[in-house]
Amino acid sequence: MTKEELIAHITENFSGTLEIIETNQPEPYFIVKADELRDFSRFIHDDPQLMLNFLMNLSAVDTGERFETVYNVCSYRHKHRIFFKVYLDHDQPEVDSVMKIWSAANWYEREVWELFGILVHDHPNLTRFLLPEDWDQGYPMRKDWIGRDVIPLPER
Amino acid sequence: MAKTRDLYTEELVLNMGPHHPSTHGVCRLILKMDGEVITDCIPVVGYLHRAIEKIVENRTYAQCIPIMDRFEYVTAMMCDWAFCLATEKLTKLEIPERAEYLRVIMGELNRIASHLLCIGVTALDLGALTPFLYTFRERELILDLFEMTCGQRLTYNYIRIGGVARDIPPEFIPKCREFLNIINPKIDDYEKILTENPIWIARNKGVGIIPEQMVYDYAISGPSARASGVNYDIRKHDTYSIYDRFDFDIPVFFGCDSYDRYRARLAEMRQAARIIGQALDQMPEGEVRVKVTAAFKTEPGEVYSRIENSRGEMGIHLISDGSKKPFRMRARGGSYNHLMAVPEIVKGLKIADLVAVFASLDIIMPEIDR
Repeated sequence: MTKEELIAHITENFSGTLEIIETNQPEPYFIVKADELRDFSRFIHDDPQLMLNFLMNLSAVDTGERFETVYNVCSYRHKHRIFFKVYLDHDQPEVDSVMKIWSAANWYEREVWELFGILVHDHPNLTRFLLPEDWDQGYPMRKDWIGRDVIPLPER
Repeated sequence: MAKTRDLYTEELVLNMGPHHPSTHGVCRLILKMDGEVITDCIPVVGYLHRAIEKIVENRTYAQCIPIMDRFEYVTAMMCDWAFCLATEKLTKLEIPERAEYLRVIMGELNRIASHLLCIGVTALDLGALTPFLYTFRERELILDLFEMTCGQRLTYNYIRIGGVARDIPPEFIPKCREFLNIINPKIDDYEKILTENPIWIARNKGVGIIPEQMVYDYAISGPSARASGVNYDIRKHDTYSIYDRFDFDIPVFFGCDSYDRYRARLAEMRQAARIIGQALDQMPEGEVRVKVTAAFKTEPGEVYSRIENSRGEMGIHLISDGSKKPFRMRARGGSYNHLMAVPEIVKGLKIADLVAVFASLDIIMPEIDR
């Protein structure tokens, strides 16, 4: 399906609210509400015309005002892909796990929890992943985290 | 647990790694064993964590490329390529024709080098030293070509934003053709020494089954997915650069086991050689780089670029706020998902088979730890 067809199909058939981000890229980009994330994921995964069964990437972004978790999914069968993201509160970031839908989300979500401090609900194993086991210096991928040895790039 | 009349056995926890020769990097596996059979496997990663995603947030775009070389040093060319592709997509930068061809040639040479390494090391892990020496002999020829082009053998920093660093020297093309002439007979040699070898078949056939559904669940990509009957190759089905100009096949196998993953890699090397041959024939003369300044800035925006790495999908999710530094960069490598699936694949196998499965998936640790 083309970008327009995908947008039309998804907005028509998904019962929740969706916002569309205008980009100049070939993939449709949606903003999904945090409490509808699981329904949306289940819908795009199971819908026979979408079959977005391949979770390419899951990452988080700290924009300074809020957190976002970004999902890039693609279909092995239909060869199309969509992106969507969820806005999270900056003070108390929490998101639902999508591991029941895409098993591949397992480690991605551990990483999101560890590096950004985003609590992932219903994840079976939120334990240290990339950082040392005795790490106690906060969440390094947040924008306000400055490491001891980081020398900022001089402005020119 | 085994239970005979008077004899009780208990679960044994065995630590494998982090410095185990067959974990290809530094990976620790905690294995729960019932006798010699694995009942559970917990991978512990992070020993090679270099915080690449944090480092690039404090670097200009041009300075990021040497860092991307270290993201996965076995196919450094393609890591650079993925990053450059993302920035170029964001800025809508058109790169010269010749540079596209050079990128394809270097990328495919790198793919052959990586697969040679994988096959040699798999054989080494299974106790056969000779194929390792053979594959490294051919890999050396490719590294010589790279050294001739950019002076480096492992971390190239050759593909740059807007093209490639410099043109190839005049003696590159004859050397490359010479290599293409010998690689197919050499692959036939590997086939003779491994494909019909009864020990190789016994160790690999039917071992490490990845059913088609597991490919989808764990987002397994690349040759490992194509060995499980999934016909998907980003070069063909979501084409990038100039791959639509070449005539090549996607080898798909249906055995789902280590043996077919090995065969998929062999077949892919032949196809890569075909692509390089066509690229050398079609390559035009001309510029190899669009000049970009040191204070190169992208448009604000968000992009996900993906290329077919030798290990699967290599994706770069890049978010830019319009400054000269990336706002956020997330790199995804194929090994990440492969290692995630290992515990499910190896359940019920023996330790010796775990080594075979691990090698056949071609897991490279720096890609996971970043």
